[in-house]
Amino acid sequence: MEIPYIVEPRKDTGLNNSKIAIWLFLASEVMLFGGLFSGYVFLRVYADYPWPERTLPVLPGLINTFVLIGSSVTVVFAWVSLKLRQWRKFQIYMTITIVCAALFMVLKGIEYKAKFAHQAIRLDDYTVIEGHAHPQGAHADHTDHGDHGDHDGHAAHGAHGPKKNLNISAESVQINLRRVDDIYYEVLGAQYDDGGFVLADEVKLSGGAVLAKGAKISKALIEQAKDDFLDAVANNSELDIAANREAWVDVRAALPGKRYWEKDVKELLVKQISLRKAERKDQYRLPVPSLTFVPASGQAQISVDPYWGKLSNPKQGEKANLKLKDQTVIFGIAADSSIGLDVDGIDFRHTVMKAEEKGIDPTVAINNSWLLQHENMKAIWEKHKLITAKLEERIKDKGHKPTENDIYRINWQEIAGLQEKTIEELETMSHAEILALYPGDIEGFAGPNHSKIEFPSITVPREQVRFESVFSPRWNTYYATYFTITGLHGLHVIAGALVLAYYLFFGRKMYNENPEWLANRVEIGGLFWHFVDLVWIFLFPILYLM
Amino acid sequence: MADSPEAIKRHIKLYLLIGATLFACTLLTVAVAKFEFLDFGSRGFGTADMVIGLLIALFKATLVALIFMHLNHEKKMIYWFFGMGIVFGFFLIALTGLAFSDPIYFEGFFGR
Amino acid sequence: MSDNHDDHHDHHNPGFLQKYIFSTDHKTIGLQYGLTAMCFLLFGFYLMMVMRWSIAYPNEPLPQWMSWLFTEDWKAQWLNEGKLPGTTYNMLGAMHGTIMVFLGIVPLGFGAFGNYVTPLQIGAPDMAFPKLNMWSYWLYLTGGIMMCASFFMESGAAKSGWTNYPPLSFFNDAQYPHQFWTGQTQWLLGLVMLISSSLLGSVNFITTIINLRAKGMTWMRMPFLVWAMLVTAFLLLLSFPPLEVAGIMQLVDRLFGSSFFQPSGLYHQQIGLSDASGGGSPLLFQHLFWFLGHPEVYVLLLPAIACVAEIIPVNTRRPIWGYKSMVYGVLVLGFLSFIVWAHHMYMTGMGPAVSTFFQTTTTLISIPSVILLTCLLISLWGGSIRFTSPMLWACAFLPMFGIGGLTGLPLAFNLVDLHLHDTYYVIGHFHYVVAPGILFGIFAGIHHWYPKVTGRFMSRTLNHLHFWPSLILMNTLFFPMLIQGMAGFHRRWYNGGDAYLSTDPDSVNVFGKTVAEYLDLNIMMSWSAWLLCAAQIPFIINLFGSIKWGKKVESDNPWNACSLEWATPTPPGHGNFIEEPIAYRGSYEFARPEVEEDFYPQWKKPVGKSDTGSSQAD
Repeated sequence: MEIPYIVEPRKDTGLNNSKIAIWLFLASEVMLFGGLFSGYVFLRVYADYPWPERTLPVLPGLINTFVLIGSSVTVVFAWVSLKLRQWRKFQIYMTITIVCAALFMVLKGIEYKAKFAHQAIRLDDYTVIEGHAHPQGAHADHTDHGDHGDHDGHAAHGAHGPKKNLNISAESVQINLRRVDDIYYEVLGAQYDDGGFVLADEVKLSGGAVLAKGAKISKALIEQAKDDFLDAVANNSELDIAANREAWVDVRAALPGKRYWEKDVKELLVKQISLRKAERKDQYRLPVPSLTFVPASGQAQISVDPYWGKLSNPKQGEKANLKLKDQTVIFGIAADSSIGLDVDGIDFRHTVMKAEEKGIDPTVAINNSWLLQHENMKAIWEKHKLITAKLEERIKDKGHKPTENDIYRINWQEIAGLQEKTIEELETMSHAEILALYPGDIEGFAGPNHSKIEFPSITVPREQVRFESVFSPRWNTYYATYFTITGLHGLHVIAGALVLAYYLFFGRKMYNENPEWLANRVEIGGLFWHFVDLVWIFLFPILYLM
Repeated sequence: MADSPEAIKRHIKLYLLIGATLFACTLLTVAVAKFEFLDFGSRGFGTADMVIGLLIALFKATLVALIFMHLNHEKKMIYWFFGMGIVFGFFLIALTGLAFSDPIYFEGFFGR
Repeated sequence: MSDNHDDHHDHHNPGFLQKYIFSTDHKTIGLQYGLTAMCFLLFGFYLMMVMRWSIAYPNEPLPQWMSWLFTEDWKAQWLNEGKLPGTTYNMLGAMHGTIMVFLGIVPLGFGAFGNYVTPLQIGAPDMAFPKLNMWSYWLYLTGGIMMCASFFMESGAAKSGWTNYPPLSFFNDAQYPHQFWTGQTQWLLGLVMLISSSLLGSVNFITTIINLRAKGMTWMRMPFLVWAMLVTAFLLLLSFPPLEVAGIMQLVDRLFGSSFFQPSGLYHQQIGLSDASGGGSPLLFQHLFWFLGHPEVYVLLLPAIACVAEIIPVNTRRPIWGYKSMVYGVLVLGFLSFIVWAHHMYMTGMGPAVSTFFQTTTTLISIPSVILLTCLLISLWGGSIRFTSPMLWACAFLPMFGIGGLTGLPLAFNLVDLHLHDTYYVIGHFHYVVAPGILFGIFAGIHHWYPKVTGRFMSRTLNHLHFWPSLILMNTLFFPMLIQGMAGFHRRWYNGGDAYLSTDPDSVNVFGKTVAEYLDLNIMMSWSAWLLCAAQIPFIINLFGSIKWGKKVESDNPWNACSLEWATPTPPGHGNFIEEPIAYRGSYEFARPEVEEDFYPQWKKPVGKSDTGSSQAD
């Protein structure tokens, strides 16, 4: 017997197998995106930080919506052409569909890329600043930063060198031999070599080998010690287990019928275990759990990506240790780990929120904030206050009031557009005139354009940083949701495009055999495609416009 | 049969029309969000914007589902499948929302 | 009888790989599912035996026969002088739960029986999408192996329970530079694979049942097993995606540092303030998890109860009682199971309104469950019962599952649950459902369809050696849990209560004294568990030995059953049926007056004019 109803519908249900399957699959997809949307809704409604509303550049999203709707129309026409047995037309429409899919993903990629290059810092007083970070050390004097004008060079330079590493002048490095990880070789090996780290003391390994004092740090050395440590521990554990087992046999024989928690059992057990261990005394090995290295010159610079470790005290010049995730601890003096930023966004909403929770006047909190102690930032804030006042004046007759966003958040357009103007000039202008100064949507297609516009710089010392991240899922739950949903949606786009491309390139055989078969398959693929479009129809307003 | 070549030929215009409507609706949503004169009730993003945005999206989604996905003349069973997805998806969001909105502790319970 | 059919049917001669490993035949895939799942079950059982040692003898090193599986390095890292420390216990506990639920019972019930029996019972040549079916199995295997392989990673396997609640799971294994290669991450990846596998499987099942039914196989003539599989497939289809979402979100949390489930200001004793943005909601995970979690219970249960529902009519020689109410019962059950999930979360600080809602739905869902059980029980009434091997298991299923179900009722109530939550009472309750309940149903199924698969019966003697010890030991294992639970024993005590013990007679520590009173039960339970393992040996011998030494069947329908799977050759070849089967009547037409025998198979042409070919629902 062969499997029936592959193309022809079954009489009583009126459906063929694939049609049932795709709709079932779509039903489960509804649940999948339903779960994601529920995540979005509850994270947003119950967020305990100001939700970044209307924060994405709309234009790429809008174009993507058009692209996807367009592809939805063409996929319908591809199916129509097949139904009308017009192969050539089918090819054309299907090609357009797939090109649309590719375009969609390219635009998505541009958006993602802009986000990943965009740094945000939540300061200790909850002020949020956004911008592009420059490499550490390259920003020592940020006042003449604007002079060198070589933007491309700057951008190229920006691509290299760590931007927000944790730096420490190391006095010693303690390596935990159980946990030591490849991180040493990948991230720190070269730095250890540069610093000329050597073994601090002579180490007698349990196997008998001796590591001489002053031995140079190396992969082989650490691995030798690690192997020895693991052997010793395994050896000792076997001995311990045997000693314990024998002790229990003794206890059972001496105190029959007694349970483990009874006092005399416990006492006898302790005695017997130590006795049995003592019997094996000479078989035990003394494991060396860690190695300590010191730099040849007494101090050496170590620089680590914040993902790999945590600095106990980030204040420059104070005693600190840097604990890496593999339990390596670097002791020394905290070096300059500040982050230099070309600021293209300032957000005081979180500061205000926290101030209100504590019953502090928001204006005072903002004026006292660390950021406004800097002249260039203060100037931006003063201009912003002026603009807020003008805005309030203008929309008063409509009965509207400026929103929290208007009052406490400064966008990149504002910073870019008003850089050249003094506050006196601005006072004479109307609100509409000021708005006209702002760069348009095209100029900032995927966000602030740092290669065209010069933004004011600031250096944030590490102890002021409460949390920092690029605009990745890490930055906050909004971006986490944005990347997860659009990422999953993107995977759907790719999968759908692959299926449709398969029918375009390999469908001819099916078409020759039975055109209805191919039409049917394209309908099924199309249904999936429409569903992907349908999800985007919701995603666009929810993520870009709300 | 709704999917016969003649019927499909008749539908071509409809498909184009729906496509155009979708484009127009998209522009409308963006306009509501972007232009100040379309601020309803208050400036910036508010409940009205949300409701309008979601209603337009729902309208667009319905068009896609009914016309492009042929739900306007589909077999009963398909409605059951898709309906189940919608209903249980609704339960997921609604009941989770109910649980979130009805905590047993009072505000400031955790010292906030 | 059967051999020549086979030859006739296999025109193309697939190679060994295609026939047995990468097979697209639903029967081979069913067997693959079954054997793999049983291996996982054994492994999960083994983990549990190690855990039970730590509970009964917390201060004693693991005995040789238990620890031989570990390498010396593993013992050095994860055992403390041969004893089980809390971390290792948590690891074994998390993996025991995961393996039993996701890798053991679901694939065994739904994957194995669903795949093997369903297409046969509806008279289909195969599943609707054989290739998808194969993918489904391989995804399942990959996911399972990924999860279990993490035992050998530096970080060890997942340690935060099968529920994987954040923020606990977020901090577990967080201190490893290569986040991808940690147990917790691998667990999530494995889970996503398993879910994808289930989705493919369930789409396939539903399509098959809807579209590939044989001629005459109307809805109300379908065997109950098919209905149960249909509902199970819908549960998987619609309840798994939210968990997939939760799994993906947790993966993003782990790999990209987001804070979906991390609240602000999260602090860990060793790690310090977590380096995450915060603002997330751990409760959201629980909702997404239990949205699957509760339907999952019925995913486990329905295939087993369906096996029993197939076996009881055959062995009582009378139609199943209340077929129609069972069908509607299972549909209602499926629907309700979507809206009861928060009864797992009474302790999360839900307000009265939402608690009331979930208490109501939870008590409501016991109605269809009771209908199913009652119908099966009444089916025994007045039957001429043959105590064959499968019937033995099926009969034991009824009271055992009854205990499991009834002990669940108190937990439905918020007030009682506050006391019993996370105690051994809960463990006892759901193990009664799953172990002596569902597993017994599955054993019944194995014995029932074994003759169809291999052409031989399983040994009755070995079955008795398997059945009676299992029945007794299951009860001595799980009943004390209910008692301990009510006394307040917490389910995650790795040393069985040793830490809370108070033996001083003058002590005012009432709880410590209560613990002392019930502590000795631990030993009885642990020994039951280990003996229970020994009791499975006859089964394993029986399962593999009977292929060679079992009594041969004399016809294609050795049990004189009525449903369509018995109309196939033994074993069924590729394509299942030799000629297209037609269902003339319902699938439980025993003791009909029209025919001389006491059964009237579905596929048999009607004999007289009086035969209306009615469905069993009438």
